[in-house]
Amino acid sequence: MATLEELKARKTDIGPPPVEKFLHSIIKENYGKWRYHEILKSGVLAHTAESGAVIYTVRAASPRLISTDFIRYICDLAEKYCDGYLRFTSRNNVEFLLANKDNIEPLIGELENNGIPVGGTGRSISNIVHTQGWVHCHSAATDASGLVKVVMDELIDHFKNEDLPAKLRIAVACCLNMCGAVHCSDIAILGLHRTVPKIDNERLPKICEIPSTVASCPNAAIRPTFIDGKKSVKIDEDRCMYCGNCYTVCPAMPIADPLNDGVSIWVGGKVANTRQGPSFTKLAIPFLPNNPPRWPEVTSAIKNIVEVYARNGKKYERMAEWIDRIGWTKFFSLTGIQFTKYHIDDFKHAGLSYRRTTQMRS
Amino acid sequence: MSETPLLDELEKGQWPSFVSEIKKSAKKNKKAEGLLGQLELSYKEKKTHWKHGGIVGVRGYGGGVIGRFSDVGEEFPGAAHFHTIRVNQTAGFFYTAEALRKICDIWDRHGSGLTNLHGSTGDLVLLGADTDSLEDIFCELSKEGWDLGGSGGGVRTPSCCVGPARCEFSCYDTLALNQDITMTYQDELHRPSFAYKWKFKFSGCPNDCVAAIARSDFAVIGTWRDDIQIDQDAAAEYVQNGLDIQTDLLAKCPTRCIEWDGSLRINNPDCTKCMHCINVMPKALRPGKDKGACILMGAKAPIVQGALLASVIVPFIRLQPPYDEIKGIIKKIWEFWDENGVARERIGECIQRVGLGNFLEAIGVEISPQVVTQPRDNPYIFYEEYYEEEGGEG
Amino acid sequence: MPNFEFGGKSYDVDEEGYLQNPEDWNKEMAEEIAKTEGVEMTEKHWEVVNFLKDYYKEYQIAPMIKILIKEMAKMFGPEKGNNKYLYELYPSGPAKQACKIAGLPKPTGCV
Repeated sequence: MATLEELKARKTDIGPPPVEKFLHSIIKENYGKWRYHEILKSGVLAHTAESGAVIYTVRAASPRLISTDFIRYICDLAEKYCDGYLRFTSRNNVEFLLANKDNIEPLIGELENNGIPVGGTGRSISNIVHTQGWVHCHSAATDASGLVKVVMDELIDHFKNEDLPAKLRIAVACCLNMCGAVHCSDIAILGLHRTVPKIDNERLPKICEIPSTVASCPNAAIRPTFIDGKKSVKIDEDRCMYCGNCYTVCPAMPIADPLNDGVSIWVGGKVANTRQGPSFTKLAIPFLPNNPPRWPEVTSAIKNIVEVYARNGKKYERMAEWIDRIGWTKFFSLTGIQFTKYHIDDFKHAGLSYRRTTQMRS
Repeated sequence: MSETPLLDELEKGQWPSFVSEIKKSAKKNKKAEGLLGQLELSYKEKKTHWKHGGIVGVRGYGGGVIGRFSDVGEEFPGAAHFHTIRVNQTAGFFYTAEALRKICDIWDRHGSGLTNLHGSTGDLVLLGADTDSLEDIFCELSKEGWDLGGSGGGVRTPSCCVGPARCEFSCYDTLALNQDITMTYQDELHRPSFAYKWKFKFSGCPNDCVAAIARSDFAVIGTWRDDIQIDQDAAAEYVQNGLDIQTDLLAKCPTRCIEWDGSLRINNPDCTKCMHCINVMPKALRPGKDKGACILMGAKAPIVQGALLASVIVPFIRLQPPYDEIKGIIKKIWEFWDENGVARERIGECIQRVGLGNFLEAIGVEISPQVVTQPRDNPYIFYEEYYEEEGGEG
Repeated sequence: MPNFEFGGKSYDVDEEGYLQNPEDWNKEMAEEIAKTEGVEMTEKHWEVVNFLKDYYKEYQIAPMIKILIKEMAKMFGPEKGNNKYLYELYPSGPAKQACKIAGLPKPTGCV
């Protein structure tokens, strides 16, 4: 345990260290003066500065949940090939920053020999952003790391090669809280609950704030009540959308249900302001069962969507733009995904997605 | 180590395996071993074994550590306490091997040896600490120059794209602004006192590589106001090298403001700065010289009232140290939120509840057509000004 | 379930020491809970805890921190209505420590 002296001596609010000491000298010298970049090959970038200086980047995958052994290993590589300088991307890739072009191939060789693929640049599938899942979250309806692993095992060639119409961003969230940018990805895998929370009437009045619990429901389905003379809540089951927000607020309303929890698939979201701008994902498949450890229904569904897009999308067309061009009817027929009642919105702004013109493709 | 037949299936295949990572740590660490056993049980039963998050922490801080307790701690004692420590990452996620190794040393001594590089918000996440080791870990991190990130109803750890450090598109210094904002709001970051969480994200250009428009309450996205810079020779080179300029560039321009007749012509007043043409030929085209950023607010995931993308609050602002103008806007917004926010309501939902017009008026920002895609199409207008009968009082 | 031993009796608490049965709470016990947090209860500490208990009694919820700050300022003056002051009294945060000492439910919400 820390001694009292140590506790007193420690500094608070120092914030993160200034970034300057983590920047390669080439980056420091050409900071803000970059002229252009090229993708030399999949996973390898070259940024050229106005001065003519070049910094090379090798982008490699990581499973995000990594041991200190993994970190020490990539640190060894960084010291061997790039003066100790490395960074991470917002999609959990590792980027090695090299001054010497001759080090690119030996570095890639070592990475690939150790099972770490290089790629994720340009018109490819980059690493999947994802949440904690069963590994570390109380509200997870599925496991995120496991889904990422099995999906990327299927799609790894699209990570290593730029062979898609445009970049394809996949995200996994294990419940509707969506701790990742799932709602704006080309393909989103979203874990969900499908049954009403079970109320522990014994514990609820002791450990939960009843007004907060009532207020937590987006659909006003929760009302205060008395059970055996004790305060509790009741749920109007017809109004429950299984969002789990009440469970976030009140631990005595667990919503997990191993038999009915599962996965939904969403498509056509995007963050960048390029061309038609950012958009939300839309529902493609309302439910697939949780079938660990390898979720075969999910991997085959994702692979199907990716391959249909790869065959039919035009260059620079993101998933959303491809679907916009061909229309949703065609999307469902090309992918063979069944369109159901569940695909039609019935929440607050539902009407906005109804077709209000006779214009439509046959 | 216990048998893990289900998780072993996730060591097959070509993608790097998180199960192999847990096993590496589990060989030498009881906490990681506990996690491995518990996770196998989750895979068997198809359910999580983590209890509702708790509030553990270190002295002087109201956030940065998230308590995590197992509901099968007796069976897997290593997993009984498995708290998350959020370490404020560097701007742009730049590190040296030396600095990362020191964090590994601390974490191997006191924790599970498992990490996330990085968490969804941006923190360097250490996964799996005991309550009793938290102060030690914090003291040692602090000695090495690291501090905790945010959690709960306060400023969350800001994050930014690679910016001018390694990108020619960046329209302002994302790393500098990220660092300045992080340091300015240390109290709001470490001692949460807001109605709900507040995320800052800084992207250098409209490509928005940190997903600011989808994931932050306060998004600063670089843009420019003058003409795109053109290098005609470089453009010709792209075409010579086989670029299908008609299909892949001209036809994809959302306002059709770019033409090619052997050289590129851009009708700049019609350009919406979408970045497509610049992305396709980065050697030939660059953002203009009158650079700054657009401030957008209110993005969030579905819980509670539905997902929102951020919307424009300030169409264009110049960003230079000491960043007084943007900090003045933040101050006004937080004063407004303090008066109007309700518990567990993100600012995006708050703005929708009070109305964007009222919000902009309250924070003293100019109300321009650029903040909407079109004027309202319903006549339910709350008028606030009326004619008075002449000759009345006052 | 973990226990909290006090006055020769044993009380149910969760892993973080929050009382599981609010009716078990009394002043003497609160002082003991405070000691487990390294907090010695003074009159100033009781001002905060008493406010939390009164607020909870009236609204059945713990106040948001911003409301706690505002109300403390109204009742005891601006020098007591700020985050810095609350953290001086409760170094690991008023939400974590003062609620626990007051015997209120453990604060929840998105982390």
